[in-house]
Amino acid sequence: MSQLAMVIDLNKCVGCHACAIACRAEWSVPVPYRRNWVKRLGPETTAKGLAFTFYPGLCNHCDDPKCTTVCPVDPEERVFKSKDGKTKKISIRATYKDPFTGVVLVDKERCIGCGNCVEACPYEARYLNEELDDPRADKCTFCVERLAYNLEPACVRTCITGARIFGDLSDTTSQVSKIVNSGKAVRLQSKEVNIGPNVYYVGKDRDILLLQQSCTPHERKWENVMAPMRREILKAAIKRIAKVV
Amino acid sequence: MKRRNFLKLSASACAALAALQLGDKDIFRPVQARSAAEAPKLPGSLGAKEITSVCEMCFWRCPIVGKVKNGRLVKIEGNPKSPANGTRVCARGNSGVQLLYDPDRIKYPLKRTGSRGEGKWARISWDEALDEVAHNLKETKRKYGPHALAFFDHGASAEFMRDIFKTLGSENYTNEPAFFQCVGPAALAYLMTYGYVTTGTRQYIDMKNAKAMLFIGTHIGENVHVSHVREFIEGLQNGAKLVVVDPRYSASAAKADIYLPIRPGTDTALLLAWMNFIISEGLYNKEFVEKHCTGFDELKKAVKKYTLQWASPICDLPVRDMKKAILLLAGNSPHVAVHPGRHSTWYGRGDTGRHQALAILAALFGAVGVEGGLYFPTHVKKGHISFGCVEEEPETPAKSISEDYYPFASTFGSPTSKIIEATLTGKPYPVKLWGINGVNILQTISNPYHTMEAIKKLDFIFCEEILPTETAIWSDIVLPGATYLERYDTVYTFDLLTPYLTVRQPVVKPMFEVKSSFWIARELAKRTGLKCFNYNNEVEFIEEELKGAGLTLKELNQKGGIVSYKANPYRDPKEFKVATEDGKVQLAVEDFADEDLDPVPKFVPTPAPPKGYVRLVYGRSPVHTFSRTMNNKWLHNEAPENLLWLNDKVAKKVNIKDGEEVVLENQDGYRSWPIKIKVTPGIRPDTAYMVHGFGSRSKQLSKAYKQGASDQFLVTEYEDDPFMGASSHRTNFIRIVKAGKVINLPELCPPPKDIPRFVPQKNRTGGK
Repeated sequence: MSQLAMVIDLNKCVGCHACAIACRAEWSVPVPYRRNWVKRLGPETTAKGLAFTFYPGLCNHCDDPKCTTVCPVDPEERVFKSKDGKTKKISIRATYKDPFTGVVLVDKERCIGCGNCVEACPYEARYLNEELDDPRADKCTFCVERLAYNLEPACVRTCITGARIFGDLSDTTSQVSKIVNSGKAVRLQSKEVNIGPNVYYVGKDRDILLLQQSCTPHERKWENVMAPMRREILKAAIKRIAKVV
Repeated sequence: MKRRNFLKLSASACAALAALQLGDKDIFRPVQARSAAEAPKLPGSLGAKEITSVCEMCFWRCPIVGKVKNGRLVKIEGNPKSPANGTRVCARGNSGVQLLYDPDRIKYPLKRTGSRGEGKWARISWDEALDEVAHNLKETKRKYGPHALAFFDHGASAEFMRDIFKTLGSENYTNEPAFFQCVGPAALAYLMTYGYVTTGTRQYIDMKNAKAMLFIGTHIGENVHVSHVREFIEGLQNGAKLVVVDPRYSASAAKADIYLPIRPGTDTALLLAWMNFIISEGLYNKEFVEKHCTGFDELKKAVKKYTLQWASPICDLPVRDMKKAILLLAGNSPHVAVHPGRHSTWYGRGDTGRHQALAILAALFGAVGVEGGLYFPTHVKKGHISFGCVEEEPETPAKSISEDYYPFASTFGSPTSKIIEATLTGKPYPVKLWGINGVNILQTISNPYHTMEAIKKLDFIFCEEILPTETAIWSDIVLPGATYLERYDTVYTFDLLTPYLTVRQPVVKPMFEVKSSFWIARELAKRTGLKCFNYNNEVEFIEEELKGAGLTLKELNQKGGIVSYKANPYRDPKEFKVATEDGKVQLAVEDFADEDLDPVPKFVPTPAPPKGYVRLVYGRSPVHTFSRTMNNKWLHNEAPENLLWLNDKVAKKVNIKDGEEVVLENQDGYRSWPIKIKVTPGIRPDTAYMVHGFGSRSKQLSKAYKQGASDQFLVTEYEDDPFMGASSHRTNFIRIVKAGKVINLPELCPPPKDIPRFVPQKNRTGGK
């Protein structure tokens, strides 16, 4: 089974923010929401020396995504097709992990805009534009829509130094799997939040250390979602029904 | 040297070569919708109509494609056929969409109704606006003579209007802040050493193939020009070692092998000590120096007194670190990229000298015309066009602003500081009318308070602008210019490592009543009675330029909007020649000596901060260009304000916390708008840093107004570079005002006795 993944090379990244804006343009993501971001870290003293680096972030398309588990929408069976024609039938809620690409997506037709998945993501990679009458959760898709036309993700296409390497981890010849298999790449995960993110980072020791110290999530946000959000779910459902009626 | 000599020089420096056109192997095929009805349904920018053009979010001008869906520009990408950037554009390039659709844009010609600077306007017709500008140009010239007209210019939009001022006979037809507030000293130093402007708009430095690189204050990555950044990163990836000298731990410093946190204002001391070291240790490239340089003995003698031990307390750097760095650089010669720098108007005295020292150091490494060193431009042929404007230089007045203050100013035009002085004092002659195009002068030129006073004295001031900047709100007439996405310009050639020829063309139709720069200049010329701009439209002269390259616009567009050529950057040592009079690199510049200036740079200390203050330095954010992009919706969202970097030990002593909002006060008592503090070990205790261009004072820039602090409005003290008259910007000092209380900052690295302390003086060249 495939798993699309990205490696971001902080030795090449200069923190120019082109990725964040190309994504915004490609998918008309309204300000101030974002699917893709750059945070500037440092200069700060680390155990490995003075570091000044960046956190280019996006959805991690996790191995064990928690956002998909908190979706209150009734599951529905769907048949997924792989590139080589294989099919697989699985039951999905309004947000799900594609069994053939490993990409975590939102079914915009069925999303009720309750915001549970937004709350659940420990990486804060999702958003809900609450200014809209009928908001739906939105997030990075690894540009699967572009991949269908053999085009790279928008952030990869614009990255001025080629710091973003994108590919399939199951393909051992791909550059991403070579880097990941070399053991040099790190992911932003902790003892508490250990859900297999598929965005990896490589860089100088001091930069990786600063990145991990500043940006690794520790809060199991998904565990706190259901109860306090129930009222919101109800409100969203009523809004939708009212609209239909 | 006169401007025409300079132009001749740079032309001869571009050794012409028969351009070899690359085959069209990678034909550019965008995702096409199968039908017009399908296009809007495709996701994202897929299926958009693609039009090739050229970016102008900064002056680097990357080739782009505009992606248009339903008549609306949805996205900008790099032109995949561009050998320089390919599909890539930076954050600003990506955000051109939001310049085009900025709701604050100037939509119609405007006439001031309130007082200057108030920003009260009435909408007028193009006829009224152009007639009024033309009338004032003619009247001012009739009353005070041609030199009473002055033009402040920058970028592509200014290129046409410049000819009007020149044809009207003003010697002040160009006083580009790009030179006099930015690159001038560096450009002059390299021009005199190597005979061509190694660092001007373009920078001919081969970082990609270098084995070692040296940056003095250069912060590539925060300063983004796509192909330049790419070559820097490629060089590092290829294993090049990097030495960065900077009082601040910049994005470049963070990638360095050796980082030297130098005391501001002492870079030349370090460079001179390094030169002396490699000369006395015999580590310089003797063969290169003997064969291709003149003035070595003079250089050797002049730098003899500068030892590493002498430099150490001045630069506040340990001898062993300085030695380690120079050994690393010398050990990799000749493949050493000694970056020539760009913004060099730092301290006034000594600015040209510092860049001359960099130029000399490169020659001592033999790092010229070889892989990894300074290289030669590749001339790309295009047709010469004449707009029928006056081509010879205007007559020089009895006392000339351009020629009589600073010996090398006229190489670049008239010094901005002297135009402002003449406007304020009427000396050496009155300047009564300003035209401005492509530059926000109040956020660019040292001491904006002087600039505002000068504007009040003018008979007339007009500008062509896209947004209601400070410059616009101080103008009598504002002409709404088309953005680069709505107009044609001249044909662009790129003469760096990846040469190409391309053309800017409109991606969408002009919005509102905006007009192209060519149209505006042509109309103004007509109404001023000048026989100028004898083409009906841009396409006519573009075709003529393309004819010289053996192309038509249609053919160029069929090729994907761009044609690449083979580069010729290096030279066989046997044929090595630079464009100076004797064909050799000038290690001592006799032309400087002829003007009673130092032929070999000397260390001239810039005054240290007064007690209680730290030096204010500034730089760039990768998401902003000068003060031009702070109102851009997408860029504003990435970086809405600037922060003041303050050393962590200093902050601790005065109990200032990270994120606290304060006001800054400079040595002359001028205060900034509120700015948040960033506490970091990444800056020296005697220095504070902020990104340039924030703190807009125009209320009509709804997003940028009052966001962060303006460095420019704290630069009230300046000195002119004695060589070419550029104004200094890093000669100002700040302390902090927190909750109304003035806080003096502790001095944690006091200057040695050799460096005098700043004393406020009356009647200086600049300042109060």
